[in-house]
Amino acid sequence: MSVKEIKSELLGEKYYEIDHKSGLKIFVWPKEGYNTTYGIFGTPFGSTYNHFTVDGEEVRVPDGIAHYLEHKLFESEEGDAFTLYASTGANANAYTSFEKTCYLFSCTSQFERCLEILLDFVRNPYFTAETVKKEQGIIGQEIKMYDDSADWRVMFNMLEGLYHNHPVKIDIAGTVESISHITAEKLYKCYNTYYNLHNMALTVVGKADVDTVLEICDRMLTPQDKVDVTTHFPHEPYEVLKPYVEQKLPVAVPLFNLGFKCSGERLMTENEIAYTDILLFLLASSASPMYRELLDKGLINSTFSYEQFEGPGYFTIIFGGESRDPKSAEIIIKKYIDTLREKGIDDEDFEIAKKATYGDALSSLNSVDTVANLTEDFCFNNRKIFTYFDAISKATKEDIENRLREILDTDNTTLSVVKG
Amino acid sequence: MNKLETLKIANGVNFMKVKDNRFKTVRICAMAILPLEKDTVSAYALLTQVLTRSCGEYPDFTELSRKLSSLYGASLEAGVRKIGENIGLVFSVKGIDDRYALNNEKVSAELSELLCKIIFEPKLVDGNFDREEIEQERRQLIDLCDSELGDKRVYANNRLLELMCKDEAYGIRRYGSAELVNKVTAEDLRIAHETMLKSAQFEIFYAGESSADTAQKVFTEKFSSLERDAVKLHTKVVRKAESVKEFTDTMEVAQAKLLMGFRTDCASPEEDVTAMRLMCAILGAGANSKFFKNIREKQSLCYYCFSRYHRAKGIMTVESGVEFDNVEKTKNAVLTELRAMQNGDITDDEINFAKLSVANDFVTVFDSVAGIQEWYLSQIGDGKLLSVEEATAEFNAVTKEQIVAAANKLTLDTVYVLRG
Repeated sequence: MSVKEIKSELLGEKYYEIDHKSGLKIFVWPKEGYNTTYGIFGTPFGSTYNHFTVDGEEVRVPDGIAHYLEHKLFESEEGDAFTLYASTGANANAYTSFEKTCYLFSCTSQFERCLEILLDFVRNPYFTAETVKKEQGIIGQEIKMYDDSADWRVMFNMLEGLYHNHPVKIDIAGTVESISHITAEKLYKCYNTYYNLHNMALTVVGKADVDTVLEICDRMLTPQDKVDVTTHFPHEPYEVLKPYVEQKLPVAVPLFNLGFKCSGERLMTENEIAYTDILLFLLASSASPMYRELLDKGLINSTFSYEQFEGPGYFTIIFGGESRDPKSAEIIIKKYIDTLREKGIDDEDFEIAKKATYGDALSSLNSVDTVANLTEDFCFNNRKIFTYFDAISKATKEDIENRLREILDTDNTTLSVVKG
Repeated sequence: MNKLETLKIANGVNFMKVKDNRFKTVRICAMAILPLEKDTVSAYALLTQVLTRSCGEYPDFTELSRKLSSLYGASLEAGVRKIGENIGLVFSVKGIDDRYALNNEKVSAELSELLCKIIFEPKLVDGNFDREEIEQERRQLIDLCDSELGDKRVYANNRLLELMCKDEAYGIRRYGSAELVNKVTAEDLRIAHETMLKSAQFEIFYAGESSADTAQKVFTEKFSSLERDAVKLHTKVVRKAESVKEFTDTMEVAQAKLLMGFRTDCASPEEDVTAMRLMCAILGAGANSKFFKNIREKQSLCYYCFSRYHRAKGIMTVESGVEFDNVEKTKNAVLTELRAMQNGDITDDEINFAKLSVANDFVTVFDSVAGIQEWYLSQIGDGKLLSVEEATAEFNAVTKEQIVAAANKLTLDTVYVLRG
């Protein structure tokens, strides 16, 4: 077992990375003076993992199973994990994204007990036909809640337009129909494949110390054999499937998502993420000429935002918000991308964007939950968090110009619109 | 935990500061509190937008945004919140703490001065707000009013309050309405600005490690030059519902929204609301509440069902998303849980767990700059400012008898259903 201290002088932060003898990767990130401890235990098993080969057996599972599993893991034969946490006062929760499932708690006392509960319930599945069935009504309502959410629909419609085959286009919770095929056996199959300590990561942030975390992990986690698993993602063409998709929903202000599909053949490096962050700020922040023109022409409002959206096999840059005329907004966004590529980046604009990106990233380290979730993300994607910060502070204008040559292909986009 | 220092810097103007070295950021906020009235609410909402768009020193929106970006991506935000039947116009800036500036810039002092200028020195043309700026912000504010329809939960909540408090100021939305926003004139804005400076109760809040001296100095100077007469805040409390009003809206939705509004016969600051808050938490806040355990987990009727106590107004609202056919069943299930509470069917565990959860939430709040600010600002309507320890002690002192008594004060006023 090794304990490595990882430090950043620039940020005044440090954390510990531990390869535990059980196979589990552990991160402990003490935040001096904090009263909260945030613990998160995750596995890189998300909604896009619906086809895999384990120990030579090829398996396909119903859409939405990772999320369903997340719901069901809270239950044990004796009761549910929420009841156990209740006596600690901690807040407990879980979430499933496209590429991971995480279980978490936030506590201000009885940390040891909280961590024990977390390690125990995530390590001890209990699924029966009856308990699986009970969840269908609850998740069915969760799905319907999202069906009525214009924000959610506009994004998934865009993904359906961007991707031919990649399961990122499928709703995280699946459909009422797909989840009706989920059984206890299928849940166990997924669990035994992906909830293996060698895949997983535990992160503890806030009022925490390495010794306490290790003492509990040593006691509760026995070494586990590795599982031989390959996750399959279908071949995804570079080109988008459809350039425009539209849905009618009862909304008064139309919403749009404009996705620039990029090659998702490999995951980005820390430098690439940092450069993309600076580039997007330069291009589309409220200080940019693009934002100003969109605003002056009445094509966006303060809901306008942008993000990098990436995971195994997919990568898209998304611009979105409310707009009374999304097609005109699309034309202007593309015009500014082409112009920037043609004319290059202004020195002062670059310096401002770099400082702002650094400030934004730095601010995110205030919050224990952001730090913990980022740590899990970086771990599952084999990236180092401080390398990302260093990349921002060392970025040059040329780095950003080079990045612009690699992404934001204005001929490879999907515009998704939801309107009334 | 660092102590709050409060100073009265002018008539009706409090300056609060908390020094704290744990965070990467500083946060400064000024909240102006005025009565919530149909005739003025939209002018005030538009005023907050216009003021944060530019100022005398940075008369152009892009110029102001660039200034903020160059201060390491500092942000300037405007918001409107209801405090009982009053509105709080919130102006806030957030930026990195001086310690993290790469070139020793005094970010906090610059932000303090900027916030003060935003409030006191707007961009004026011949003594009036600029027409073009007004039209830009008017368009965006109308979008904001209209966009509630895109989020059915927000929409349903607003509809419930509007219907339940038809003849009370609490039924007015915090931005007013698109129709009212359309009617605001430049003269209305000028009057709103003048009234805000002269008559609003102001709460200025500073949190961070960098010195608050500049903020205190600039705000003191500005306010001391004004003749001020701060308004008295008031909220009308309707004690009991005479009969149950029922309303249904139909729309193309996948899921029905069930909203219930109760009169609680108990409101701050005149009465002690602690028992009512705890009762509401046991009933429908979080994974150990009666609603979650019985309506979601046992009956699988919904994904979410929770209650919220509006303590400054003395009402409690319950909301859930359900199948169209389950509306009546869920409504009865909510009433069944409430009856259990009224009959004293509450275990010691339920009470203790709710107390622990409340205490945990309180302490957690203090691990973020925004949380610290929110802790104090959210108590403005209570007529007293409690520390976490004091607030926790008040909750811990509540007895089962007091909880049952609180539950028995509830009368159902309005049921609102949004369905397909």
